[in-house]
Amino acid sequence: MSPLPRRGGWDSEPAVFLALLLVIALLAVLPLGRLALEGVAAPGRSLLTSVLAARQTWVAAEHTVVTALLGTLLSVAIGVPAAVLLALSDLRGKAVLVFAFMLPLLIPPQIIATAWIELCGPASPLLRPLGLAPRAGVPNPLYGAGGISLLLGIEHAPLVFLALNAGLRALPRELIEAAQASGAGFWRCLRDIILPMTGAPLAAGASLAFVSAIGNFGTPALLGIPGGYNVLTTLIYRKLAGFGPTVLSEVADLSLLLAIIALIGLFFQGWAMRRRDTSMTGAGAPLRAFPLGRWHRPIAAACWGVVVLIVALPLGSLLATSLEPAYGVPLSLATATLDNYRYVLFADAAAGRAALNSLFLAGAAALVLPLLALPLGLFIAWRGSRIMRLAGQLAELPYALPGVVLAIACILVLIRPLPLLGLSLYNTIWIMLVAYLARFLTLALRTVTAGYHQLDRAMEEAAQMAGAGFVRRLRSILAPLLAPVATAGAILVFLTALNELTLSILLWSTGNETLGIVVFSLEQGGDNLSAAALAVLVVAATVLLMLLAGRLARRLPRGALPWQV
Amino acid sequence: MMKPALLAFALLLLASAAHAASGKLVLYTSQPDKIAAETVAAFTRKEPGVSLEIFRSGTTEVMNRLQAELLAGDPRPDVLFIADALTMEELKADHRLMAYPGADVVAFPADAYDKDFTYFGSKLITTGIIYNTAASRKPGSWKDLLLPQAKGQVILPSPLYSGAALIHMAAMSGDADVGKYYYAALAANGAVPARGNGAVTSAVAGGEKMYGIVVEFMALNAKAKGSPVDFVFPAEGVTAVTEPVAILKTAKNPAAAKAFVDFILSKEGQELAVRQGFFPARRDVAPPPGFPSGASLKIIPLDLHRAAAESDALKKRFAALFGG
Repeated sequence: MSPLPRRGGWDSEPAVFLALLLVIALLAVLPLGRLALEGVAAPGRSLLTSVLAARQTWVAAEHTVVTALLGTLLSVAIGVPAAVLLALSDLRGKAVLVFAFMLPLLIPPQIIATAWIELCGPASPLLRPLGLAPRAGVPNPLYGAGGISLLLGIEHAPLVFLALNAGLRALPRELIEAAQASGAGFWRCLRDIILPMTGAPLAAGASLAFVSAIGNFGTPALLGIPGGYNVLTTLIYRKLAGFGPTVLSEVADLSLLLAIIALIGLFFQGWAMRRRDTSMTGAGAPLRAFPLGRWHRPIAAACWGVVVLIVALPLGSLLATSLEPAYGVPLSLATATLDNYRYVLFADAAAGRAALNSLFLAGAAALVLPLLALPLGLFIAWRGSRIMRLAGQLAELPYALPGVVLAIACILVLIRPLPLLGLSLYNTIWIMLVAYLARFLTLALRTVTAGYHQLDRAMEEAAQMAGAGFVRRLRSILAPLLAPVATAGAILVFLTALNELTLSILLWSTGNETLGIVVFSLEQGGDNLSAAALAVLVVAATVLLMLLAGRLARRLPRGALPWQV
Repeated sequence: MMKPALLAFALLLLASAAHAASGKLVLYTSQPDKIAAETVAAFTRKEPGVSLEIFRSGTTEVMNRLQAELLAGDPRPDVLFIADALTMEELKADHRLMAYPGADVVAFPADAYDKDFTYFGSKLITTGIIYNTAASRKPGSWKDLLLPQAKGQVILPSPLYSGAALIHMAAMSGDADVGKYYYAALAANGAVPARGNGAVTSAVAGGEKMYGIVVEFMALNAKAKGSPVDFVFPAEGVTAVTEPVAILKTAKNPAAAKAFVDFILSKEGQELAVRQGFFPARRDVAPPPGFPSGASLKIIPLDLHRAAAESDALKKRFAALFGG
């Protein structure tokens, strides 16, 4: 650790250091610790046993694991070829393909599920005219385990893709060129060198997909609840929505069970990351692309086919549904109407309020978190503070664990009135903001820390020698230098928070609904048309934000934005 | 002595002073989103001083939320506007409702409102059968949903979510003709539950199921907008809820709450309900087209007090039969 300046005062380096530790303790350690305590030491411990004894619990746990495993298999099946082709081949149009391929990760699950429901039902606006929709009277084939696994697989394939892509780009170029020079073709290289060397990042990506799948709420809620197929996240939601805070201890135990399953996945991910061959990281020169040659055309066609299948068709159905005058009416130029848009934009009070709430929550998180990340990243990346590095890892937990777990933890801490103030944040928008800050801190922190690693320390050191205080250096030297990464972090936080559902659905109260909640309730309440219209607007905003962030990309370290690899 | 005209004027002034409602009013309702939004808009046009905040969900979920708030000692709503009188009876028994003897109920039939003036039925919402026009058989009786042609083709709203669905189950189970085994027979014939009436309507309109048990206005509204559905009032009769409105004892803004009740019961409010496709409770407002006249509507009777005592048992039975 480098010596800290001796000057005291609130803006000295040690003071900021302690303040940041306190923030992380309050945001991450306190709620999750409180939840763990609920599991071991809550009054009336017979509850835990009653939850664990309930058959319903184990059925839901089994459903959770089964759909997540099947989904992860599919994520690997999609993510691996995509990463290999996009990282190693000379395929044309890569930027657009990557962008399209990342969409299922950035569009919220409740909207993806809505889109697929519209695509695959008997009333499908795209399949029915072609005679491909299920016969009338046949339930939507997506309801149940198969559909949930399918969508989980598609939604989390980008996670496998990202992890493997990073691994592939770190491959030592010399090794592959040596193999090529000795006459090994693409397949040979892939089989004998590339895949064996990228097993660890692949395993890490797959574990991440698994953890994300078990924490997913929007997908199993829209596809599972109609058929009575419960997973742990939906079971927790239904209990809390149906019975209120009286069942808090019970849902706390359920969320601990979910956390334990997630921790197993996270442990496996950590193990895989550590097993990564460190000698091959930072290899420098990028690989020369493998020429696809005569295979270019069919492979490109296959890639675009997949994009059409997993992005264009469902989103197209969503768009078509949003234009229908009444549900079940075949769409044509004569019947298309903008009434559903008019309704969600101007008439529905809840949708308008939700847009404002989501903008406020996402905006506040996007403003506050990069400001926290700026000094945090400095302690982690430049000062090499071990304590702060540990704190940074703790700050990852609220993001890595399922959102439902964090939500229950926040309720446990905040349901009683705050000490000194005498106010309870439960049932207000502030509990949602606290949870958002806890959950998304790590997104801002990762981007900003990556920025520090690329920055020369000379400027800051010069300012320090000239006698500038810590906060002054942060403000006038580091903040301008890191502005692009901080902005990228802010956009990432904003985008993720704008579409948040899992935390919000358990924490919201009257007047504090978010966009995610309104789309979800409209769809579940049977107002598919308004749900589709609002979903289309949210998707449009998401894509717009992605493009906007892309314009910053040239000034960012590689990998700062997930869809610009 | 005051001249009659002057007296009338003074009374009018007094009356409008009593109605000069303002401030925040919190409404918990089970009206569908769109209809609730229209109700809010119409009320705010009439009482521009009041800012109305609403929470909406199925009656059962609205009540769960309210119960949780009562437990925490902080009930938020001033006014409740939910599907059924059953829930209102339970609240009244718990002394949660404020009596409003000043409500103008002259034009209402006596069985539309509580005799102690704690809640007021605003309309008649009946539950019958919706079917997709592609269905092989047009249903005419409740028993048609038990036929082999309807196997796996019926969807019904869950009483764990919807108040009308709870009343329907209570009334059907008490009816000698249809009988208490009706729900078990439905389950045996592969009927599935939906979260609410809206979800039933869209499942039938979208062709996922051919038949649904649903409140009439949703089916008729979907039909009017062009969805491939139709609605029948079954031969044995329909069940009905009254969508009552009530003021909570803990209301923070009773003046605005009374203004809301007045609006719902007013001729203007009832005409709005008719435009929304509802059968009005007021006798001096004509029902919307497509409805049987009030006299020819056969309603399966319901003993509210017995149903209130049974409601938990009914919900549990439904959950056991249909899994929620």
